[in-house]
Amino acid sequence: MKKFTILGLLLVVVLVACAPAAAPPPAKALRTKANAGEVITFFHFGDITGPYAAITTPLVTGFNDAVKWVNGKGGIRGAEIKIEWSDTGGKLENAISVYNRYREKKPLILFMYGSPETEALRDRLIEDKIPSVTAGVSGKGLYPPGYAFGEVPIYSDQFGLFMDWLKANWDKVKPAKGQALDSPKIAILTWDTAYGRGALTDETKAYAESKGIKIVGQEFFAVGAPDVTTQILNAKKAGANVLYTNTLAHGPAQILKDAISLGVRDEFLIGGNNWALDLSMLALAGPASEGFYGPFPNLWWTEADHAGIKALDEQFKANARKPAERNVAYMLSFAFVDYARAILEKTIDRVGFDGLTGAAVHETITEMGEYKALDGVMILAYGKDKRAPSKARVIQVQKGQFVPVTDWMVAPDLRPK
Amino acid sequence: MALRLAGDFDTTYAHDMAVIRNRGQWVMTLAFLVALLGLPLVASSYIVSIINIIGINIVVVQGLNILVGYTGQISLGQAAFMAVGAYTSALLVRGGMPFWFALPISGLSAGVIGTIFGLPSLRIKGFYLAMATLAAQFIIPWFFRNVRTDVFGGMPGLVVPPPKLGDFVFNTQQSMYFVIVGLVCLTTILAKNIARTRLGRAFISIRDNDLAAEVLGIAPFSYKLRAFFISAFYAGLAGSLWAHYARAINPEQFHLIDSVWQLGMVIVGGAGSALGPILGAIFVRLLNEASILAAPIIGTLLPSLEASILAALGPMLFGLALMLFLIFEPRGLAHRWELTKAAWRLRPFAH
Repeated sequence: MKKFTILGLLLVVVLVACAPAAAPPPAKALRTKANAGEVITFFHFGDITGPYAAITTPLVTGFNDAVKWVNGKGGIRGAEIKIEWSDTGGKLENAISVYNRYREKKPLILFMYGSPETEALRDRLIEDKIPSVTAGVSGKGLYPPGYAFGEVPIYSDQFGLFMDWLKANWDKVKPAKGQALDSPKIAILTWDTAYGRGALTDETKAYAESKGIKIVGQEFFAVGAPDVTTQILNAKKAGANVLYTNTLAHGPAQILKDAISLGVRDEFLIGGNNWALDLSMLALAGPASEGFYGPFPNLWWTEADHAGIKALDEQFKANARKPAERNVAYMLSFAFVDYARAILEKTIDRVGFDGLTGAAVHETITEMGEYKALDGVMILAYGKDKRAPSKARVIQVQKGQFVPVTDWMVAPDLRPK
Repeated sequence: MALRLAGDFDTTYAHDMAVIRNRGQWVMTLAFLVALLGLPLVASSYIVSIINIIGINIVVVQGLNILVGYTGQISLGQAAFMAVGAYTSALLVRGGMPFWFALPISGLSAGVIGTIFGLPSLRIKGFYLAMATLAAQFIIPWFFRNVRTDVFGGMPGLVVPPPKLGDFVFNTQQSMYFVIVGLVCLTTILAKNIARTRLGRAFISIRDNDLAAEVLGIAPFSYKLRAFFISAFYAGLAGSLWAHYARAINPEQFHLIDSVWQLGMVIVGGAGSALGPILGAIFVRLLNEASILAAPIIGTLLPSLEASILAALGPMLFGLALMLFLIFEPRGLAHRWELTKAAWRLRPFAH
C-alpha cells in the first residue's frame, strides 16, 4: 500500500511539473478612446499682475482660445480639454498654495510662467511626479533634470547662441562708431533679479572667453527703473561695444531710449533674450527699438504664410481678441496646448486612458524627441537629460517689426554644472 | 479691560494672572488644540498649505506687533530680518547642523542684526524711524545678492533641504504643518506673556509716552533695542521656517512690499494684542486666496473679457475689500472680537 502511495505522489509531482503553464489571461486592450464626457484639465499659473504682467496677461486668453480650438477638432482622442488657471502676482507663497490646490487634482501636465516658482517647486514636481512646461527657463529650475521642462532655450544657452552669432557676423553687424571695434566687448545691463541674472553664469562667462569675446561689465537696475543712463555710461567706460539684457518690456525699452538720449546709440549693438523681444518692448521703446537684436525661438505673426501662424491668426480673429493680446504669450499658450495634446495622445497610445499619469507623460516627453508645435511656430525638444529646446533664430527690429537675420541656429549647451 | 463672566472672581494671585481662567475655557482650549493637531489628517494639502503660510506670517507679525503694537516703534525692515534668519538657517543646515538647532540660531542672528538697525531709535521716531529701518530692506538683500555669492548663492539663491528628525523628513505640507503650528503656538504664548511682564509694561509705557516712561525710571533706549531684538528674533524664526518650507530662497523673496504687508497685518488684526497678528495674518491671506480664486471664475462667466482686465480683477477685489475693512473697522479685528465678546456677555442688556 505504501508503495502505491509513494508512486501516486510521484505521479502527481511529475504531472504537475509537466503540466502546461496556465495560459496568460488575454491582454486587456488599451483604451485609446475617451469615454463620453471624459475631461482632461490643463493647469497654468504664474504672475499675471506683477512685474511680468506686461508680457504674460495674454496667456489667459491664449489658453482659452487654444483649448477651444483643440476641442473643436475633437479634443484629445475624444476627451474634452478644460483649463484652470491662477494669478500668483509674482509671489512665491501664492505659487506654493496654487500648486498645492492643483496637485490634489492630479494634473497630467502643468504650465508655469516664471523662474522663481519653477526653482522653488522643482523638487515638489519630482516628488509628486507632475511634469511641467515652464516659460521661466533659468538653468537652476531645470537642471539637474527633473519634471520641469523649458518652453524656450535656457537663458544661458540663448546668450551663448547670441555670442555665436555675434562672433560669426561681427564685421557685418558691429556698431557704426564705438570703441575697440576689432572684437565684441559685451556689457550686461540687466535687472537685479534671478531672471535678470539668468544669462550671467560661470558657464556663459567661460564660453565667452573660449570664443574670444570679452564680458567687460555687468550693470544692474531695478525692475521698472525709469533711468539707466548711469549703467550705460559705466558700460561705455568699461570699453563695451555691445549691450545685452536679460529683461523684458520696459527693461530693453529703457536701455534703448536712454542710449539715444545720451547720444551713444550708434556706439553699441544692443540685444536681449527672447522675452525682451515682444510687442510691449516695441510699444514702450517706439522708434528707439530699431536695430535691437536677440535670439528668437519662435516664429512671429508677420510670417503670415506659415501654416501655424495662419491657424493662430484665424483663432485670434475668430475670438475677436484685441491687438495688445497679439503677443508672444498668446503664441506660447497655443504652442503649449498643441504640444500637450501631442504628448498626451502619444502617451494614450502607449498606456491607454486608464494608464495616464504624470509619470507616464513625463516618460513620453523625454522620449518623443523634437516636436514642431503648430507646424513649427515653436520647436520643442527634450531628452533624458535635456530639459529645454536649443533652436532659435537671431532677429532684428526693422521698421517696427521682428525680422529674422539668420536661419535656425542651435544654441550651445551652457546648462549649470 | 475685557468683561468677565459672572462669578469669575480672583481668589488667588495665580488666578489673577491666569490667561485661561475657568474650566470652560480650559475645555475649549484643549478642544481647540486637539482640533489643531487633527486638522492635517482630514484637511486637503491645499488647505494645510494655506495654514502653513498663515502660520509663518503669524510668527513674523507677532514679532512686529511687539515692536509696533506694544512699543510704538515703526519698522519697515521685517522682511529683511526674515531674510537673515532664512539664510542663517539654510547655511547651517546645508553645513550639516540639524534644523532644530539652526532654528533658534536663526532667530538670534536676525535679532542681533535687528538690534543694529534699531540703534537710530535713540534719536528718531515715527516716520523718520520708518525711513531708517527701510535701510535694512535695501542693505540686507543687497548683501545676500552681491557679497560672497559662493556662500550665499547670489541672486539665484540657495536650495534648502527640508527639516529632518532621525530618518523622518518633513517634506510634505502635512508634516511641515506640525513644525510650523508648533512654533506658532510657542511664539504666541511667548508674545502674550511678554506683554504681561515688566518688560512688556515698559514697552507699553514707552509707546504711550516715552518721556513719562523715562521719568518713571525706564531707560527708553535700552527697552527700544530689546523690542527691536525680539521683533527681529521672531522674524528670524519665521525666515528659518520659510526657507525650509519653500526649499529655495533668494533675496527676491524678502521684498519691501512684504514688510509693508506685515505692517498691514498688524494694523488689520489690531496692534497691541497677541490675538491681532493671528487675525490679521488669517484675514490678509484668506482675502488673497479669495482674490486668486475669484479671477478665473469671473473669466469663466465673462469669457470675452480682455486679458489685462481679467487679470486685474483679483488684485482689484483684494484692494477694495481691504479698503472697506479699514473704513469700517479701523481698530482692527481683535478690537471687533472684544466688542463681540462683550456684547455677548452683556446680552440681553445693551450696556
